[in-house]
Order: sequence, then structure tokens, then C-alpha cells
Amino acid sequence: MIDSIKKSSLEFFNTNGLPSKKLENWKFTSSKNFKNFNKSLSSDEVKKIESDELSIVFINGVLDKDSLENFKFADLIEVKNLNELTKKELLYCSESFLNESMFNLGVSEFENGSYISFKENSVIEEVINIKNYFFENGQNERMSSFNIFHINEGSEISIIEEDIKENFSIFNLKLNKFICENSSIFKHGKSYNDDSQTHSLSYNYYEIEQDVALSVDSMVKSSFFNKEFIEVDLNKVGSDAKINILNLGKEEQHIDNNILINHKAEHCTSFQHVRNVLDNKSTAVFNGKVIVAEGAQQTDSNQSNKNLLLSLESNAFSNPQLEIYADDVSCGHGSTTGALDENSIFYLRARGIDYSSAQKILIKAFAKEVIDDFSLSSLQDISEIALDSWIDG
Amino acid sequence: MIKIKNLEASIDDKTILKGIDLEIPAGEVHVIMGRNGSGKSTLANVIAGNEAYEVDGGSIAMNDTDITEMSIENRALEGIFLCFQYPVAIPGVGMAYFLRSALNAHRKHQGKDEMDALEFLNNAKAILSELGLDDSFLKRSINDGFSGGEKKKSEILQLLTINPKLAVLDETDSGLDVDALRTVAKGVNKFKNENNSVLIITHYQRLLNYIKPDVVHLMIDGKIVESGDMSLVERVEKDGYSWLEK
Repeated sequence: MIDSIKKSSLEFFNTNGLPSKKLENWKFTSSKNFKNFNKSLSSDEVKKIESDELSIVFINGVLDKDSLENFKFADLIEVKNLNELTKKELLYCSESFLNESMFNLGVSEFENGSYISFKENSVIEEVINIKNYFFENGQNERMSSFNIFHINEGSEISIIEEDIKENFSIFNLKLNKFICENSSIFKHGKSYNDDSQTHSLSYNYYEIEQDVALSVDSMVKSSFFNKEFIEVDLNKVGSDAKINILNLGKEEQHIDNNILINHKAEHCTSFQHVRNVLDNKSTAVFNGKVIVAEGAQQTDSNQSNKNLLLSLESNAFSNPQLEIYADDVSCGHGSTTGALDENSIFYLRARGIDYSSAQKILIKAFAKEVIDDFSLSSLQDISEIALDSWIDG
Repeated sequence: MIKIKNLEASIDDKTILKGIDLEIPAGEVHVIMGRNGSGKSTLANVIAGNEAYEVDGGSIAMNDTDITEMSIENRALEGIFLCFQYPVAIPGVGMAYFLRSALNAHRKHQGKDEMDALEFLNNAKAILSELGLDDSFLKRSINDGFSGGEKKKSEILQLLTINPKLAVLDETDSGLDVDALRTVAKGVNKFKNENNSVLIITHYQRLLNYIKPDVVHLMIDGKIVESGDMSLVERVEKDGYSWLEK
């Protein structure tokens, strides 16, 4: 079954090719560098990673089952190979993802994807570290992965994803699906602190059932190219999705967030807060959309994108959108782009704080407002350290 | 303390200050009054080094050091403190962090060790108590969500923490109720001594009921046209400024 899915996905990609700027989500994003990468060849070499009791390790996108031997909560999870899932279980996700040629390329190329299911009522207070190690098999490789996390009813799970690699050129094409069943709490933190040779393109689909609390928090710095698709389907009543993202861009980095939240049921809330700090010739793109379906009454939704430009050559493209088909909702959106406020700099300097320090204080204040909203305090700590080093760098 | 000679300044090619001469010795409180648009706030901003203004002529010296071309922060470190007419709000920057950063920048400039967090907090809390402010003030972001009165009290908190040589109060009394006005005046009176100076820019006599000035200057069209004692304030309250133009 998996072979036929892969085959049809490859056909889709071959028919449609690399995404062009005619597509809404690729209007300000060039895919021309994607041509420089070739599909990763599988390696027979076995990498051994020492993992701790709170970590689940992936190597080149594939679950390292050895890491589960040390995992403290191994008895609370069930693991399957994606080959064991039905087509519906595997590819029940966003229609827009299924129409993305790069998503299809990822489906056609991934190997040994995993389905990790947290059993019902698994309440884990500690944060689980998802450590994605990457090792070079050859030059300029495209490593495609596909993994599914299932948070079953009544479970409370917090994870922080971290990519770890040496300094080599890679195209990380990552597909993830997260299923949150009724009355679950899922906190998904991500810290992308890659080197400047990383191209990262990820598709994250969240299938949300009733009375779920979802938070997605991420901070990106240093990746040369980072484009992330996040799609959240709020399928049943009473759920809440909060997305807080901070991106820090320097040199010629390109950072790109494409967020779609589908309010399909009543009494759900959603909140998107994306901030970009851009220096040198870096670029950020924000495509944020909220769709409130007919009948999704009492929806409360807000999206905000703020961009701080530190140089005349940096660029921010912001496209917040609302599509509302219900009549009893509260939805707001806003976007701002600008430089550091000269009056604020004057105020700080008038108290004896030098120009450079005044700039750093204001940059940190701008960025920290997102970090303060992260739901995981450990991600707040990691992000604040990364922010300080980025500002001082 | 400060000596201003024949100071001329403009903004966006419009000349505002047209030859200001002003000397404030240590231990004195001077007041500048004048109509809206006469150049009072421009003078305050030019003294503080606001780069939006162009100095076209003349000089400013602090304790015999020419600061006319000095950067904003170096003027501050030399002892100039501007109490802003409209203090900006800076969300995300905590008052405690900001105050301690400013204080330690001054201490470093003076060759002193940085003040540790505990000593700083104790000092700041003592000042807050005198100003009738709660300790939670320090946990808030700079002027963010502050009322008009709180913003002006925040300026006085900064003044007393940094303890500069010259305090320039740019219409600090505007928009204050009587209680807040008294608090601000109490702070300024606590600050002033024989080693520092105060320049008060105001439209009204009411702040001067609490802070007694040594010299009053009246400004018209970018120039100081009259200097004297408190009787000038009373004359302005009674007759306005038109008599100065005759």
C-alpha cells in the first residue's frame, strides 16, 4: 500500500514540479535552490546516539528505537511503522498539503516513518525532548521524513523538537502529523538553531478534536532557508490553539511561516502571534489565514504579525487573512512592519545608555514579548539564551 | 554648572532658537516660561542632545566642558538629565532592568563598581516609598500602561536614582493633579542641593508654589528676553506675555 502512495505522490511531483511564485504560498519564496539537492541515499552505517531518559531520538528523520530503551515513559507509548497504517490514517490531512508538490515529494521519499501514540490519560509533566540528529551520507542531500504523533484522549504531553547536525549542507524536508484526541493537552515547542547551510521545509498538520488545548511555540535562528507550513483543523467544540513564533534573520536568510487555522466547530479559540527580527539582507514571509466555517459560531480568533527591520535591505512580506462564514464570531488580525523607534532610542540614550546597547535592549524587548508567551518555560529559557547570543553576534 | 552661549538651533530647516544665553550655577533653580512655540522644549531637547535638532551656532558647556557636539548618552553621563514632557512607553523593557542599566552606565563612567541587584533594589524601593509608589512599579515595563501622573513620577524616580548634575524638567507639571504635582515637587526638592542645578520649563505658577526658583527667564520667539525673580511669574500670570513685545 505504501508503495502505491509513494508512487502516486512522485507522479504528482513530477507533473507539477518545484513550486513557482505563481502560487500564493510561494509568491515571495524562491524554490530554485531546491534543485541543488538530491534525494538522500540510505546508509548502512549504524549511528549510535547516547540518549537520556527524557529523549526520543530520530536519526536522519528515522526513529532510533534504541533511544526508547532508555526512555522513561516507554510504557506509555505505542510505536508502529507508517507502513502498518491505512492510507486514510496516513494521509488524512490538509487538502492544501496534498496539493503541494513538495509535500508530495516528501511522501514519495520518506523511509521508515514512525507512528508514536501516547496511550489514553498519559499525563507526563516533564518535557520530552525530540532530538533530530542529522548525519551526512553524501553531499547536498535532501532528507525527507514523515512521522505521526498521536496524543490520545485525556493525555497531557509536552515536547520540544530540536535539530542537531554538524556543519554540512542539507535540505531537511520534514512532514509531521499530530492527532490530539478529546480533552488532551499538547504543547509542541521547537527550537531551530541550525547552521547557515540548512534548508528546512516542514509541513505540520494538527488534527484537533474536542476540548483540546494545543500550543505550538517555535524560535528560528540561523537556518539559511526555513519555510514552515502549519495547518490546524479545529474539528470539534471547545478547543484552543495558540501559536507563538519568533524568527531571527541575518545575512541572506529566508524565513517563512504559512499558517492556516480551520475553525470547523463552535466555541473554539485560536491565537497566532508571529514576530520577525530581520537584519542585513534577510527576508521573512508571513502567510496567515483563519477560516471560520459556517456554523462555527462563538469562534474567537486573533492573528498578529509584527516585523522589526534592522537594515534597509531586509524585507518582510505579511499577508494576514480572514475568511468568515459564520455570523457570531470575534476575529481580529493585524500586521506591523517598521524599524526601531527613534524616540525610544533617544529616551534610553538620554539616561546614559549607549546607542548600541539601546538598540539591543529594544530588539530584545520586541522579541521577548513572543518568548514570554511560550507555554513551555524550558523553551523560554533556551530561546532567551539563543536570542541574547543572536543579538550580541 | 551649565553655560549656554548664543545658541541657535533648528528642526527641518526651521530656526527655533535664535541666540539663547543662559548660565545656571550649581545650587540654583532656574525657570523658563514662554508661550507655546517660543522654543522652550526645543531648548530642553537641544541641551539633552536630541539629534532631531540641528545646532546652527553657539555653544553649550557643562562644568567648562564643551558638550555642543557630544552624543546624547555622553551628555547624560556628564550629568544632564531631561525629564521628558512625553515619556515614551517601551513595552518589554522592565523598569528595574532599565534603571539599573542606566545607573550602572553612570557608575562605570564615574569609575565606580556596578551596583549589585540587591543594593539597587533596596535603593529603588526607598525612593519609591518616598514618592508614594508601590514596589510593583519596578516590575512593569517602562511607562507601559502608566497613567499621565505615573509617567511623570517615573521620571522623578529615574532622576533620584541617577542623581545627575543638571535636571531639565520639560513641562513635568503638565497634566498632573494636585497630589501628583506635590509628589513631583517633593522629588525635585529632595534632589536639589548646592552641588546640582535645576532648569524648570513650565507654563504655570503652580509647580513654583512648591519649588522656589532663584531666577526666572521669559522666552519669546527663540530668545530669552527677560530674566528676574518670582515677580516675573506673577506678572505673566496677570498680564500674559504681550507686554514683553512692546
